[in-house]
Amino acid sequence: MALVTEKAVKKLYDHPLHHDHEAENILIKETDQVVSGSEAVILSLIEEGVDTIFGYPGGAIMPIYDALFHHREQLNHVLVRHEQGATHAAEGYAQMAKKPGVCFATSGPGATNLVTGIADAMLDSVPIVCITGQVAEPYLGTDAFQETDVMSLAMPITKWCYQIANPDEIPYIIAKAFYIAQSGRPGPVLVDITKDAQFKNMSIPFTYEKRKQIKGYKPASAPREKDIVKAAEILSTAQRPFLFAGHGILLSEAQEQLKTFVEKTGIPVASTLLGLSAFPSEHPLYVGMLGMHGNYGPNILTNQADVIVAVGMRFDDRVTGNLERYAKQAKVIHIDIDHAEIGKNVPAEVGIIADAKAALTELIEKVEERQHDDWLAEFAKCHEEEYQKVIQHDFTAEAERIKMGEVVRMLSEKTNGEGVIVADVGQHQMSAARYSKFNKTDSWLTSGGLGTMGYALPSALGAKMGAPDRDIYAIIGDGCFQMTIQELGTIAQTGQPVKIIVMNNNYLGMVRQWQELFFDNRYSFVELTNPDFITIARGFGIDGHRCSHADDLSTSLDTLINSEKSYLLEMMVEKETNVFPMVPSGAGVDQIRLE
Amino acid sequence: MKRRYTIIVFTENNFGLLNRITIIFSRRRTNIESLTVSETERKGISRFTIVIDYDENKIQKLIQQIRKIIGVLFVFHNEDEQVFYGQIAYYKVATENLQEREEVMAIAHRHQARVAYSAEEYIIIEKTGKKEDVITMLHLLEPHGLLEFVKSGRIALVKDQYRFSQYAKNIGPEGWYSDEEFHELKDPERSAGVSY
Repeated sequence: MALVTEKAVKKLYDHPLHHDHEAENILIKETDQVVSGSEAVILSLIEEGVDTIFGYPGGAIMPIYDALFHHREQLNHVLVRHEQGATHAAEGYAQMAKKPGVCFATSGPGATNLVTGIADAMLDSVPIVCITGQVAEPYLGTDAFQETDVMSLAMPITKWCYQIANPDEIPYIIAKAFYIAQSGRPGPVLVDITKDAQFKNMSIPFTYEKRKQIKGYKPASAPREKDIVKAAEILSTAQRPFLFAGHGILLSEAQEQLKTFVEKTGIPVASTLLGLSAFPSEHPLYVGMLGMHGNYGPNILTNQADVIVAVGMRFDDRVTGNLERYAKQAKVIHIDIDHAEIGKNVPAEVGIIADAKAALTELIEKVEERQHDDWLAEFAKCHEEEYQKVIQHDFTAEAERIKMGEVVRMLSEKTNGEGVIVADVGQHQMSAARYSKFNKTDSWLTSGGLGTMGYALPSALGAKMGAPDRDIYAIIGDGCFQMTIQELGTIAQTGQPVKIIVMNNNYLGMVRQWQELFFDNRYSFVELTNPDFITIARGFGIDGHRCSHADDLSTSLDTLINSEKSYLLEMMVEKETNVFPMVPSGAGVDQIRLE
Repeated sequence: MKRRYTIIVFTENNFGLLNRITIIFSRRRTNIESLTVSETERKGISRFTIVIDYDENKIQKLIQQIRKIIGVLFVFHNEDEQVFYGQIAYYKVATENLQEREEVMAIAHRHQARVAYSAEEYIIIEKTGKKEDVITMLHLLEPHGLLEFVKSGRIALVKDQYRFSQYAKNIGPEGWYSDEEFHELKDPERSAGVSY
């Protein structure tokens, strides 16, 4: 215990790096205790309401792990098997628990292993806070053991990052990190803490205050009335309006507002890959998914809509295809919390810079009740065509081998569309996205922007820990599975029940599909000789079985669903099937191919 | 079409921010023609003056990316006629005898430059002005035996005081823009053709 004068605090915040004048108002209580930097990290996390950490210890973060040991009752630490797993688990956790996921890693290789997951969280706007150890300050820049310039690595792939070399900064910076990660457009932040800052005592008492604002950063909040009025005006005369629901709906928890809005205006809704489950798939206004492997109607009719309402989505190139041929006829009303997204790829007639929930709430008041039955009928017609040419074939096995689409459809049926689907990246991901039915919100996790193979297994664990009352189904390809297969060990150690389906076609299926379609069938290094996944899972203490015949599909899925513990179901799926429809790379959305 | 832009950025004085800002350019393979950073008259606030040649249809998107960086207080982009700008240059010229020294000093005098320092074997001329002025001076001095030459990056002031004050008034300890100003600043309608 040490009493610290107000003067000492002032001195800290007079430091040129700290021109935050709010900080000067922090009052020191005499009861406050002085703690070490590492203790301050743990106390800060507890104050912030953190209860789960995914991490991996090592030299430069050992003081923090030592402090964590004292607080192991309050903070549940999950020891992953590779730091990338920690980031993906934190992503899954963040999206299900609706609060930032937290990762710990050591300096050097620990920090570099985080890079993929951080980049993934950046592109998919997932709030995670990564805390890395760093070599002691005197060793910075000396090529010390396990030293890497983590700040420079993190800068292009984080929303914000900061290096702490003074323990007094810890509570203040961690509060800032959490505020930045979850406010506005969420994203990953990284705090790098030198080992000496972890060891040293703070020179001021530990106090923690959650941040509500910081200088130099102002996320959008309420929409401007002028924009809302203009948007409502455009909608009042629209004949063929079309709404795109993106990840922003889930992030701002605007599902109810979205439903009310479209039911009032009668606008058909299509979802982006990351927006799936924000709107119930069985709703009469739901017309399917956008994008390269999205549904036929939503893609082709994008170029016939007269008004497009884009909510919380960013017109990614996988959605738009060739921009020169994209929705040139439509007036675009773009709602996004990130001002830099408005007009970035597609020019907006009206840009509403606001939280999706706030914007939709105000729009609901201003719009008229309308119906667009003829327009909806066109979507139904497209769906019929897609069903005839694609969907029905995806559901019926031609030989013994199973169809991915059938696995997904049946799983969805058996779980009543209420399970959480965590999909990896590739053909199985597209099958899962296309054929899962969602009756419950927040039921879909995948790596969209970065397309990170190996995302699903660790993310599914994080998702289970973030939402313990939901059933989690990881759908993983045989290629993806082997990228983070070691996290089976993490799952086994935590005892969390995660249901895993491996779609095994002994190929890197999506790459093979492209080689077949665009590279003259030259299958260049896409065939996999796989290990016995069931034996591997058993080695990790996870039970499972292989399903090789379409006739056994139903009973196999029952075993998986009814298992109380984690379970691995290996599906021997058709070796060479292609995912259709497809907007070939470089083509316009209206050039979508059904075969 | 590419045009020359002078981008003025006000930021908090945090380390790493320079790096974050330059990443915006390097990621797009854009060469920075010149870059000047220093603290403003307000403690803790830095001013960046960045000169680039950039596509006029894409400049607004680039500015939005800079505006998004945490710690950036505000950003303007300006075409040359919207700013008063210049740079400073030093010329170290060998002067073997008194006559030569006088000749060099006379050139300096004729071109509104001054002798900033003199040693036994050389003198240093200081010249401020636009790039062309600085280069002209260089050509004039070269025949006399130029030992060393350096010029700074561009610094610039915004000519339209109203436009500048609209955005500059909110930096300071009090905080940030009001909600209304926030939307004004980020209004896509204003972006076409308007630099702010």
